[in-house]
Parts: sequence; C-alpha cells; structure tokens
Amino acid sequence: MKIPRTPPDSIQRVVHVDQGAGVQDPKGQGPETQKPDTQEPSTRARPARALAHGSLRTTFMDLIGRPPFAREYEQWLGLGRDKLLDDLLGGEEFWGHWWSEQLYYFLLVDNFQPIARATKEIPGKLAEGRMDYRTALHRIALTSSFDQRNPGADTFVTVVMEQFCGLVVQKNRRDLESGKRAYDGGKGNFLGTLVNNQSEVIEVCVNHSKASKHYLEREYQRLMHGAPDKKVLADQARRLHRDTWKYLATTRDWLLSEEYSQRLERLEPKSNTLFLKGLFVDLLDRLPTEDELEPMRTALDGLADPRPLRSVVVRLLLDSGRAKIPEKAAITDPTRWVAEKFQRFLGREATPDELRVFVGTFHAEDCRPETILYAFLSHPEYQKY
Amino acid sequence: METFNLHRRSLLRGAALGAAGALSPALAGAHLLPLQKGRKTKRVVLVAFAGGVRTRETFGTPDNIPNMRQMADEGVLYTNVATANLGHFGATMSIFTGISEPRGIRENARGEDPTLFEYLRKGLGMPKEDIWVTTTGGAQQVNYSYSVHPEYGSKYGANILDGEGIFNAEFKQLLDTWGMPKSMGDKEKALLDALRKGVGGGVDAVREAERLARVEDYILKELTQGTTDITGAAAGDRKALRLARNLLSLFRPKVVGVVLQNADVAHGSYNAYAEVVRQNDAAIGELLSAIREDEELAASTAVIVLPEFGRDRDLNSRRGLDHGDGSPDLRRVTCLAWGPDFKRGVEIDSQQRTTDVVGTVCELFGTTAPLTRGGRLRGLYS
Repeated sequence: MKIPRTPPDSIQRVVHVDQGAGVQDPKGQGPETQKPDTQEPSTRARPARALAHGSLRTTFMDLIGRPPFAREYEQWLGLGRDKLLDDLLGGEEFWGHWWSEQLYYFLLVDNFQPIARATKEIPGKLAEGRMDYRTALHRIALTSSFDQRNPGADTFVTVVMEQFCGLVVQKNRRDLESGKRAYDGGKGNFLGTLVNNQSEVIEVCVNHSKASKHYLEREYQRLMHGAPDKKVLADQARRLHRDTWKYLATTRDWLLSEEYSQRLERLEPKSNTLFLKGLFVDLLDRLPTEDELEPMRTALDGLADPRPLRSVVVRLLLDSGRAKIPEKAAITDPTRWVAEKFQRFLGREATPDELRVFVGTFHAEDCRPETILYAFLSHPEYQKY
Repeated sequence: METFNLHRRSLLRGAALGAAGALSPALAGAHLLPLQKGRKTKRVVLVAFAGGVRTRETFGTPDNIPNMRQMADEGVLYTNVATANLGHFGATMSIFTGISEPRGIRENARGEDPTLFEYLRKGLGMPKEDIWVTTTGGAQQVNYSYSVHPEYGSKYGANILDGEGIFNAEFKQLLDTWGMPKSMGDKEKALLDALRKGVGGGVDAVREAERLARVEDYILKELTQGTTDITGAAAGDRKALRLARNLLSLFRPKVVGVVLQNADVAHGSYNAYAEVVRQNDAAIGELLSAIREDEELAASTAVIVLPEFGRDRDLNSRRGLDHGDGSPDLRRVTCLAWGPDFKRGVEIDSQQRTTDVVGTVCELFGTTAPLTRGGRLRGLYS
C-alpha cells in the first residue's frame, strides 16, 4: 500500500480550540500564567498551562522518556505546555523514545534487539519526516530479529495478528490457518486479502484498519495512562488510517486535553527504563549509555518487584563517585538543598514536616548527603512519576 | 466452574490462619504447615517445563531424562494431561491460574485471573517470603507473580526472579566496574529509616524497605556465587533451576515455582531442543539432590513437573519442531508428581489437565482456589 506523503510540518497547521482557561497547574506549584499568543491564528495552540517542576518532569518523561536536564528546568519552568509540545513532539528524542517503546512492545530486546544500521536510522528518518510511523512499524516486522523472536508459522502469524491488529487468534482460526499456509509458501485468504508469502501476511496486518485502531489504543495508554473514550478514539483511528501523518497532531491533541491535565495529577509507576534514565539524569545530569542501560534494564526486568534491585542500582551510582555530590560542609543552606531535591526528584514542594525531618536528620553526625539522596531515590514515591 | 469441596475443618483452619497472617505473617507462617492432617508435605516445587516439550523426548526417551525417570519411579506419572495451545505465555499462565484463556504470545501484562500464589497467600496468610518463582523468559514471565483481579492482586503476589535477566553477565560486569555498593552502618541506617518515615509520613515505607533489603542482600550475594557464569545450552533454564535450588536451601520457602523456556529452540533445531531437555533434566537432578541431601527438605518437599504444551508431530522444513498442528503430541503432555504424600511408581493414563495443578497444590496446602476452572490431579495420594 502506498502511503500518502504529507509535508513534515503538517502538525504546525493543526488548529486548536482555546479551552481550559483558569486551570491551575495540576501539581499545584506554579501560578497559572497565560502566555501572550504570538502565533498566527492558524497555528494557535491551546492555552498555556504554566509548567512547574512536577508537570514539566512528567511531560518530559511521558514524551521523551527522561526527566529534564538541569538546564532544561531553567529553560522551561513557567512556560506553557503547548510550547514544550512544540519543541518536543516529533523531535529526534521523541521518536527515539517511541522507537524504544515499540521494540519493547514487540519484546525485541536483549538478544532480539535489531542491530542493523538501516534499522537504527529509523528514528532519525521519523524525526526528519522521511518516514511515517506505519512504515516504521512495518520495518520492525520485516527485521530478522522479529523473525527470530517469533519462530515458526504458528507463532509468527499469531504474533503479527495479535501485536499489530489486536486480534484474538482463537476467534480468528481461519485467518490464522490461511496466514500459516502463506507463511509456508502456500496461498490463503488472510483477513480478506489473498496472500502468498510471509511478507504479504505482514503487509496485510500492518495496513489493516484494525492495526490503526490497535496502535492508537496502545499509544493512548502509553502516553495518557488511561482508557480512551472509545468513540473519540475510533474517529481518530479512522483519520489516522487514511492519513498516517496525523499521528503527531492526534498526540498533541491528547497532551493538551483535560484528560492529560488529570493524568498530571496522578502518579504512575515508572517502567524500569524510565527509572534508570531518570536516575542517571537526576544524579549525573546525563543519560546512561546503551552499555549501561541495557544490562541494568534487563536485570531489573528480571524481578516482578524490581525495587530491591533498583535500590542496588541507586547505591551503585551513589557510591561510584561518578555523581557530583557536594561535601556536607559545602552545603551551606541545607533547607534549600533539601527543598530543591524534593522538587527535582519528586516533582513537588516539600511539606513543612518533611523539611523539618530532612533538615534535622541532615545535621546528625552520621548523616551524609548520600544518605539523604538514597532516602529519596529508594523511596516508593520516586518509583512513580 | 468447578470449585473444591473441602472439609469444613480445613476451611476453618485456613480462615483462622489467614487472620493470624494478617496479624503477623511470620507467626502464621511458622504454624501453617503441614496444613492437612496426616500429610507430610510442607513445601512444593512446581516446575513448568515450558517452552513446548513433547513426551516423546522426555518419558518416551528415558535416556534423555534419567533423573525425572527416577523420580517417576518414586512418584506418580500422569501420561495423559490435556493442554491448550495458547502460546507459551498463555499456556504457562494457565498452569498457574487453572484457567485456559487466550493470551497474546508477546503480551506483556498481568493476567486477570488470580494465580496459585495469590490463592495461597490470601487463603493461608503466607508472607511473600514464602513464595518464590524463578524464570528464564525475561520481562514477560514476571507477570506470573500476580493478577489484576480486584480481590487478589499485587498484595498477594510472589517474589519472581528471572535468572537470565538479573544474572546477566553484562550487569555483573557493570557492578564489577563501578564497584559493589558499600554496606551501611547501623547509625546511618537508623537515619535512613527516619528519613523514609519523613516522606509523606511513610511508616509503611520503612517496613517495606526492610523486607526489600533482605531480597537486595540475597541478590547481591547470588551475583557473586557463580549463577552469572552459567553459559551454553539451556543456560537460562539452568540459572532458573539453580536459583530455585539455592532459594530452597537458604530460605526454605513453602512454594518454589520454576518456569523454563529454552526448549523453544526446537523451532530451529531438533537436536538443540533434545539437548535442552537433557540439560534441564540434569539441573532438575541437582535440585532433587539438594532436597534429598537435606533431611528436613527430603521429608517435606513435593515436586511437580509438567510442560505447558508439547510440540508438533512432524519436523518443519528447518528440521525443527513448531507448535501448531493440533496433534496429540502437542495437546497431550506428561506430568510428574513426586513427594512424601504421593503414591510411588504409579502411572495414571486417565485424562487430567494442566489446569488441575492449581487445585492440587491448594488442596495439598489446605486451601481453595475459588476461581479456578481446573480440578485436581486424581489418584495422587498414597
């Protein structure tokens, strides 16, 4: 199927309706600010909701899979969410995160991670508008990693039907059998299309209308952490099926919606990847390298409750000497230092009681700055965002 | 739906122990077992010999599995156990839930039906430390820990360790390079507790941290004890079985589940698959030796081994074995049950189901699995 190309800047032309004025920042830190609208009417975004530590941090993690670096807090605090979306949505980091999440969805991790150069270039192509999301997903299914991960006709066709179209194969036996025949070089009527080989089985699934809907459902879940309105999502899926370049515009609508504002009021569990990337950024102000991230993520994924191992990793980083942790004597204003850590690590202000306990403990002889940091980073609240 | 008609006294005892568990899990655990009057079994090792394993390569070729063959001679062998081809994830899940429901092969989410572990923990007030599961299938298999069922769920979940995941060589190397975390002195630890209590008024955070610290210590020790160094055929499965053996010896939990997976290499190579079967039998032999060599474990431990489903009757074009032909080789597997309360040297060929295991283990411990659709393995007890 030919995918119609739309200019890469198509998202900028989305017209947003002004709504939600007077909304407080969801995490309650920042005063509401309405930024002056300097954009052309045709590109007017929904109203700015001033970004505070919590909402900024959460939006970063939802969109690009990491919290802001120190300089980015300075850059974005107090600005509107719409401006942040203008910057992050569709960028290289956004697609890089999207790509990782898709590979994880297909469980193409560890030994099954695609390593071909052409595959690694896909996030860049997505960011440059040289490839749409559907083509990228199609490429995933065509990788040898996907084939090795899902060996044999039964497994392969089942996975393609389930993962792309959200079908329950036990209720679609005939299509499964047709797909298996085609996988083995025979012919079959698969999901309403005549197919002759494995590649055509993939093509039919990837381009099926159910695939657009299933993709959008799981993207909604990934970004919004909740269940979508089925009717609204069905409409969005129909539009997306006709025009795959509508993906970013749809995402933008979600992230400017009241539902996302409500999501910002909730804490959601961090995935292991998110935890690790967040930890590195929070402590080292840099992302982990692939060689650091993958073994750690694999190890954390090996526990139903990864908290004990997360604590090990926190201690590993704190004790490694690689994190820039000030000497206790150099912290001249412990109250301020602790308050900043609450904002940075937990995305919120400390309560007076919390400040009292932390500052009091800080002054104890055996308390090191690392003790304070370990208490934050191993706390259940840090496991969420 | 089939439910179990247990003796009233067992139910009352289960309820009382559940209440005791709510007050003090450790106390409840100490008085829990053996729960069934006259039974010696205090703990169960349940091995899901998953990855798709036919009877032909196991009990049909005894030379491949000398250890399991010997266990069969000392236990009960069910030679006609029905299963459903629901993909590895779904079919293995059904062993733990007692319900055959389709699940996506690559689905990476908790199930909706409670697991055996949740039934045991809720029904008997077992603390989490009493139930461990070791796996080899990575992120997906940790979903066996607990379901999203509103009446059960995470608070009744099992500890799950994926041997291949945690004990990957690269992670160990990273720890070696960065340096193992330093241990914390008592004074500093007390300060840490005060801080933890101080965030959001979290007394629970301290209690939970203490429990997690024990697991943390265990993992750090295990990382230095050679599990990471296991390589070669069935390395993942052998790590899972080794962890099970170590856990059983160290913590003596009431339930140890093991989920294997490496037999699925059969898609590409029959010979590699047969080798996995042999290696896993050897590792099960080591597990059994650890049980036999410990007087208390030998007298109180039952072992149940079964695959989630078999494989196709005929080789595929790669001289491997897929799983999707609907043949008896795929749909019928063999289940082995060995333990102090079980019959010895008995083969039972009447039809059982892989979903009967949940009810069997629950019954063995003296509780019920109210939502399972399976029954119990018949003819088990001596």
